[in-house]
Amino acid sequence: MLETTVLTGHHDALAKQKRISQRMTINTDNEPRTGQWEDALTLVALHQDKAAYAELFSYFAPRLRAFGIKMFGNEQQAMEMVQDAMLNVWRKARLFDATRGCASTWIFTIARNVRFDMLRKKQSRKDDISADDLWFDGDYPEQESNSSDSWDTMLMSEKLAPHFDALPPAQRMVMQKVYLEEKSHQEVSDELAIPLGTVKSRIRLALDRLREALDDTRS
Amino acid sequence: MTHAVKFHPGLMLLDQYVEGSLSADVALAVSAHIDLCPHCQQLSKDITNDQAAVLAEQEVSGRDAEQEWQQMLNFITSQPAISAAGSVLTKPAPQVASVTVNGRTFEIPRALARLAEKQNKWLHLGGIATAKLPTADKQHVSLLYIDKGTEVPNHTHLGLEMTLVLAGKIVDENGEYGVGDLLINSPDDTHTPRTLADEDCLCLSVLSAPLKFNKGLTRLLNPLQQFFY
Repeated sequence: MLETTVLTGHHDALAKQKRISQRMTINTDNEPRTGQWEDALTLVALHQDKAAYAELFSYFAPRLRAFGIKMFGNEQQAMEMVQDAMLNVWRKARLFDATRGCASTWIFTIARNVRFDMLRKKQSRKDDISADDLWFDGDYPEQESNSSDSWDTMLMSEKLAPHFDALPPAQRMVMQKVYLEEKSHQEVSDELAIPLGTVKSRIRLALDRLREALDDTRS
Repeated sequence: MTHAVKFHPGLMLLDQYVEGSLSADVALAVSAHIDLCPHCQQLSKDITNDQAAVLAEQEVSGRDAEQEWQQMLNFITSQPAISAAGSVLTKPAPQVASVTVNGRTFEIPRALARLAEKQNKWLHLGGIATAKLPTADKQHVSLLYIDKGTEVPNHTHLGLEMTLVLAGKIVDENGEYGVGDLLINSPDDTHTPRTLADEDCLCLSVLSAPLKFNKGLTRLLNPLQQFFY
């Protein structure tokens, strides 16, 4: 029963999400693409880009605050929710998966779940229903077992693949091991028999290059 | 086995579920229904997108509390991101959970998996058994098992009753309910649910008030209503 239920109507949902994200994008050209918030999240995910995060923050934080005030009826808890939700956006940007929904949906569900758990905690209940029990499917990607796979797929196929391929081979090798095979810098250093410092500087160089490439496609 | 789910939560219920404004126990029944129902999975995705778009598109008044925002932003970006290789990222995929009662083992939806691990022990009465799930709301949430060929005596709901069929089938005066079907009985609704002769049934039951039994000797059950509640 359960396995038959997974992806029904997925394409409709994607089409709708695309419409929504396009509507939210300040379009300066006519090329179909993901919106500015999806790009910003990708940059935050990729190397904790503070400028991209600040853009996200200045747009979403006041809107989450308004949502929080509506739901909690007071400013203090609303701001607590904003901080907690936006902190999650910062820390878990890597979990965002543009193939499963647009950035605003992801951020909304994080805030909704934070709010729900704040209310439950306030009433000091253990062994109780939590946001993780209630919302799973496509809403809160934390539990998605293949989330990193699909994230990489999205990243590779849709956005970065051409730029990734254009990296100098030495940088590409290091990036592949760190980001796709999820190896530690030390492991890569051992495997390739190059100094740890070289691993780190190659990653920095590659990230700069990718960032530049992404920036170019954005402006 | 494919059973087309016929009885769904209404749109208003789904709306409130997505928003997070339903009481937790009612939301749990809705969530478990969604696990079993592709139609409502799609609907709740669409509703989520829609509510998120409303949130994202709302107008907010200009540049107030600029300093407070700046402090919050600085605090957040000073925090470490969860590392790529860190295990925090991927919680283990939810195990397929099951419950065993009357010598039978049933798979249960993801939404109930964690709570069912902490279920109270099964209480048996005739062909019927219940086990409470530990939640702290006014509503009472339990698993309800009905052996084949068993009738739950005719009763009236003093409050809201939600019953989600998790396995097997039940039948009452209004129809037949299979896996994924969500029955919602309002206060004062009366019915006599029963199982078929050859199939037992496992349900999730959410009750906001005790049942009241109506007929003949079953009225003697009323002191026992705590059993169902």
